[in-house]
This record gives sequence, C-alpha cells and structure tokens, in this order.
Amino acid sequence: MKDPLKDKLTSAFDGIQIQPADRNQISITANKESILSVLSLLKSNGYNHLALISCVDWIEEKRFELVYILSAYMEKDKHFTDMEKTNIILKTSIYREKPQFISAIPIFENAEPYEREIHELYGIHFEGHPRLTPLFLEREYKTPPFRKDFDTRKYVSDVFDPIPFVGKKADKR
Amino acid sequence: MDRNQLIKWLKAPAKMGHKYSLHAVYFCTGCGIIEVPPSITARWDAERFGVLPVATPRQANLFLITGYVSVKTLRAIIRTYEQMPEPKYSVGFGSCPINGGMYWDSYNTIKHLDKYIPIDGWIAGCMPRPEAIFVAVTHLWTLIDKDMADGYKRYRDHYQAYRANQEHALGKLEWPPLFSNETKS
Amino acid sequence: MRELELYFGPQHLGMVGNFSITLKVEGDRILKATANPGYLHRGFEKLMELRSWIKNFPMVCRINVVEPDSMEMIYAMGVEKLAGIEVPERAHYIRSIYLELARVGSHLFGLWAYANMLGFDTVAQWAMYHRDLVLDLFEELTGGRVYHIYIWPGGVRRDFPEGFKDKIVNTLHSIGGCVPDYDNTFFNNRLFYERAKGIGTVTREEALAMGGTGQVLRATGMQYDVRRVEPYAAYDKVPWEVPTREDGDAYSRIWVVRDEMIESVHMIFKLLDAMPEGEVYNRIPNPFKWTIPNKEAYVRCESSRGELGLYLVSNGGDKPYRVHFRTPSYTHGLTILEKALKNASIADVGNIMISLYVVAPEIDR
Repeated sequence: MKDPLKDKLTSAFDGIQIQPADRNQISITANKESILSVLSLLKSNGYNHLALISCVDWIEEKRFELVYILSAYMEKDKHFTDMEKTNIILKTSIYREKPQFISAIPIFENAEPYEREIHELYGIHFEGHPRLTPLFLEREYKTPPFRKDFDTRKYVSDVFDPIPFVGKKADKR
Repeated sequence: MDRNQLIKWLKAPAKMGHKYSLHAVYFCTGCGIIEVPPSITARWDAERFGVLPVATPRQANLFLITGYVSVKTLRAIIRTYEQMPEPKYSVGFGSCPINGGMYWDSYNTIKHLDKYIPIDGWIAGCMPRPEAIFVAVTHLWTLIDKDMADGYKRYRDHYQAYRANQEHALGKLEWPPLFSNETKS
Repeated sequence: MRELELYFGPQHLGMVGNFSITLKVEGDRILKATANPGYLHRGFEKLMELRSWIKNFPMVCRINVVEPDSMEMIYAMGVEKLAGIEVPERAHYIRSIYLELARVGSHLFGLWAYANMLGFDTVAQWAMYHRDLVLDLFEELTGGRVYHIYIWPGGVRRDFPEGFKDKIVNTLHSIGGCVPDYDNTFFNNRLFYERAKGIGTVTREEALAMGGTGQVLRATGMQYDVRRVEPYAAYDKVPWEVPTREDGDAYSRIWVVRDEMIESVHMIFKLLDAMPEGEVYNRIPNPFKWTIPNKEAYVRCESSRGELGLYLVSNGGDKPYRVHFRTPSYTHGLTILEKALKNASIADVGNIMISLYVVAPEIDR
C-alpha cells in the first residue's frame, strides 16, 4: 500500500489497525462508526472495485465480523502497478445481540445484493437498504441458517426425514 | 418390423405413440442440465430415441428432473408436473433427487423427491453420462410396454398424501388441488 | 398502455439455467426487471464448514457446472495461501493449460446457448460438438466428463499421460480449423449484427460503478483481466493479449468471447512449448489430520465469466471456519442485469442475459 494512504487513514480515524502487506493482501480493522468514511476514502484513493461483502460469525466472541474486500480497477491502456495487485480486506465488528449496521450502497452500488444476502443468511439489518426482501430462501428459519448456532444436520432430520413415503413404497419400508 | 412388434402396434397404438415420442420439458432444474445439451445435439442425438425438448409442459410427456431440487424449485416442479397432460413419465437424473446425494445435510434441498411427486425411474451417478439418458429411455420403453410406468396413476390415487407432503415442505400451496374429489388411498 | 407483470422463468424456453426474472412491462417495453434467484441455493458455504479441507474439493467444483475447473483452482489457491504450500513449476504450467482448456469449453457452451437463442441452430450444434471434443480430453486426463477434481493443493493429481500433448494439439487444431466456418455463418452474419448491435448496452462507467468484470468490462474497452493484473499459475510466463471491444453491447461481448477463445488456444500452444519437466505434486500433510493455522485470505482468479474470488477463514481447525465465494455472475446477474433490462424489449431478455454470461448456480451457491 502507498504510505501516504496509510498515514491518511491512521491520522483520520481512531482505532484503525493496518497490517502490512502480505502476498498482495492488506488487512484493515476499523471501528464500526467509521467504516463508511474509510470506504469512501479508499474509493477516492483508487480502490474503486468492491469485490465482496462477507460476514463471519465469531460466536464465541459474541460478534459478527463484516468484511469488505476492495481492489483497484486498472485504468485503460496503463501498465498495472502494485496497487492493482493489492486486495484490501476491511473488517469491522458488530455485536451479535444487536445485529444492525449501515448500508454501503451510497458508496458502492453493487453492495445491494451482498447486503441482502447477509440480511437473509445472518439476520443482520442494514439501515438505508431499499429492499431487504428474501433473496434465496423459500422456507422461514427461526435462526438464520448461516449463523454458527444453526445446526443444518439437526434441521434436516427434524424437517425432511419425518415426511412419509407415499403408496406402495411406503408399505415396503 | 417383426411379427411381435406388429402385434404390439395393433394392440395398443397409443402406447407406441407415447413410447417413441417422449417429449421432455425444457426445465433446467439442477446441474444435470449440463449433460442435456450434448445429448440433444449432433454427437449423441437423443432424437434417435424420440426424445425432444419442447417449450411448455402442456406439450410434454417426459419430465427429466436434472439434479438436486431445492425447496424453491420444488414448487416450480410440482406446478410443471401438474400442468403436463397424462400419460406423463418423470425420471430423476443424478444422485441428488434420489436421496439428496452429496447435499444430504443441506437445509435447503429436498432429499427424496418421490415423496412429493411420483417418479418412474432413476438415473444414478453424478454426473450421469449422456448414454445413461438413453439407457433410461430404453428402459422406460419396457416399463411402458408392461404398464409399469404408472406414476401418473399413482399420483391420482394417492393425491391427498402427495399434497400433504408438498404442503409439509412448502407451507400453504397457492393453487387449488389438481384432483378435488375424495380418492381411494 | 396497461402495465402488466410477467414472470420469465424458471421454466421458460428463453431461460438458460434455473433462474427467474419478474418483468414489469408496458406493451413490449420493460419498465422494471427484478431478478429472482435462489432456485439453486444449496448453502454450499455452510456445508463446507462441516467438511474437512480436502473433502471440500468435490463440493467446490459443483458451484459452477459449466466451468468447474476454475472453482477447483480458486479453492486450491486459497488453501495454498493459508497453509503456505508451494507448487512445482511444471504443475503451474499444467494448471494453466487445464484452465485454458476449460475456458474454451465453457465459451463454446456459452456460444451454444447464444446461437441457439438467436436461432442459429447449425452453429449451436457445432459449438456443442466441439465442446464435447474438449470434454473427451478432460475424460482422458482426469476420468470425468464434467466434474474433474484435478487440481489439488500442492499441484495437480497426476501428470499428463503419454501422447496427451499431441492429442491436445490435434483437438485444438480441429476446432481452430472451423473458426472460418463460425465466422462466415455466425460472427460476420448480418443477422447476428442486426440482432445484437446496441442491445443490452452497459457503458464503462456503469460497469465500473456496479462491479462488472470479465467480458462485461472488456467489451467496454478496459483491459482488466485478473490473469494480467495479479498473475497466478503460469500466466506471466508466456506473452498473450487481452482482447477488447469498445461498444459494451451484446455484439461486443460475444465478439470478446470469440477472441478470447482464440487467444486461449494460442496460449495453450505457447504453454505446451514452454512446459518444463519435473514433479507435478508437492506432498501435503496427511489430509485426515490436516489443520491450518488461524488466518484469513482473499484470492482471486479469472474464470471464463470474470473475476472469481474466495474469502477463506481458518480458525486453526481441520475445517474451514468461513468460506465465501465472490462469483462473477453474482454482480452480472443481479445488479447489471436489472439495469441492462430496463427499457429493453421482451424479445431481448434472453439475448441480454446470455450475452452477460449469467450462470445461475454461481449466483445461488
């Protein structure tokens, strides 16, 4: 990462931790209050491609970790530099009891389906998101299925296994 | 055409019609669909066996369920199956509709498809090769000859049970029952 | 005129894959399109948390049916990055050749779908036949027609069998010999031009704002290709070009696909010439007791559809703690498709969707 950007980040935001680059990868941990400003600062400094928004459920530490992965689009007909090779992993934590966060759609338009997915699979509410409707799932789940305390094997044996066979096959078994 | 074949023709002309014009619904239910384009194009040429994809379920009598069935797809599958005119034959393609396959512990896939709609035959494997479709089709011919491909009859006979299973998995179904009268079960 | 709601898919002749779009139409114009995925959701990322590092290989390749090979590659890259495993030189070359073959096969499949949709049935039959020839190569190399599970952490499963190089060259020559036929019948055909020019235009600004990659971006003149930006395998060992077009419509995207296929074939020839001798496999620890230290990694590679990424977290156990795939169809099929369908006509829905190269299982995972 360019050093000026590092200075900018550390001077502008409290409690930001930047790990040095390791095989084209930089991890930044920021407070949840400052995450949108960090995102827009990174975007204006060239990291303008939001590759992924992910979420990790650290159940023992009672927190969700939201992960934003950014990289840089190459400009047209320009030789690529170290900057384009770099992936930034921007992380922040929110409390597991209060799963609420702010939407990043004003900064990155393609955040929309990712946040919708995280809302559905982890039950995190994103403020300012235009449509937090179900994306993938058809059934309703008491615990959102990607949380660590959702046991998919138990769910299968509770829900799908008791459904009986029909007709002759049922008599045979 | 030998004598036996001819007698068969004369006895049940409609059955021969069903046998040699198995028109399959064009519905990509799962990853098994990747082997269907090769088998309907030049190299494997399913039309030799009378298998042809058609646009709507109203024109079809073969339903190839290609691959795993998620809960959301099950709703579409039931609707498609109920729209098909009788006699209709359904074949499960791949391991996943048989018993869940490698998604046996997934919260969102259906494990035994024959709990929800009747299935006339299975093609095992992940991924079955195009030849396996043809083996299944020729096997289906024998079953039709012997009146053993009777899935649609079973569906009519046990409709209440099937419908109960469907509602168990999907919640309330928004369309009216296909067969409303009380049937023997 | 009256506004109507139209359901497009999942059982629809114009739809490739199990996917559906809800269209709000007025006459023939689409006012609003809402993508409705989820028909293929299996919860892969949850299932992978329950299986050990090696057992996940059969899982990952089933995420994208059309091109399972780049899925294997990305997962192997992620595991190698976490565990710090090195790959021998020859394995890098074999991986590149294998991935490029897969790219050719996948593009031919895409060409089948596109030509079939436009009514060019002859071209569709050719494309599917030629893809089958590529699948035959895979079958000889790995034993599987569709799912191969050939790439492992630390290299590839086995070396090329004897005479396999010649077979690759012969097959690719026989496919490449048909390129003039393809051009005459399809690519230089006036019908294709009329049908695809100006349809589903995604400008560069839109593509950049919405996170487009792959053909969507290269059809607008950007030379963005992960193989070039962050080279992996042996892509930095041989010279090659990134084909681009300027207009950003369906016509340009399909031309980019064609040029990419030809570039891939040339690249395979160069890689075959430059391939060194040696080991193809570095031993990994006993897979049954294999634990990986507490770490996280993001890796990316270029699948035939665009940038494919993997965010992989380990908590020091024998299973991944969290796996998240960044698949190219996700942004193309959910964000860009909805935008590109606005103000299009109903007849062009399939055209736009296939030219955006959307594969439904990749979206749902």
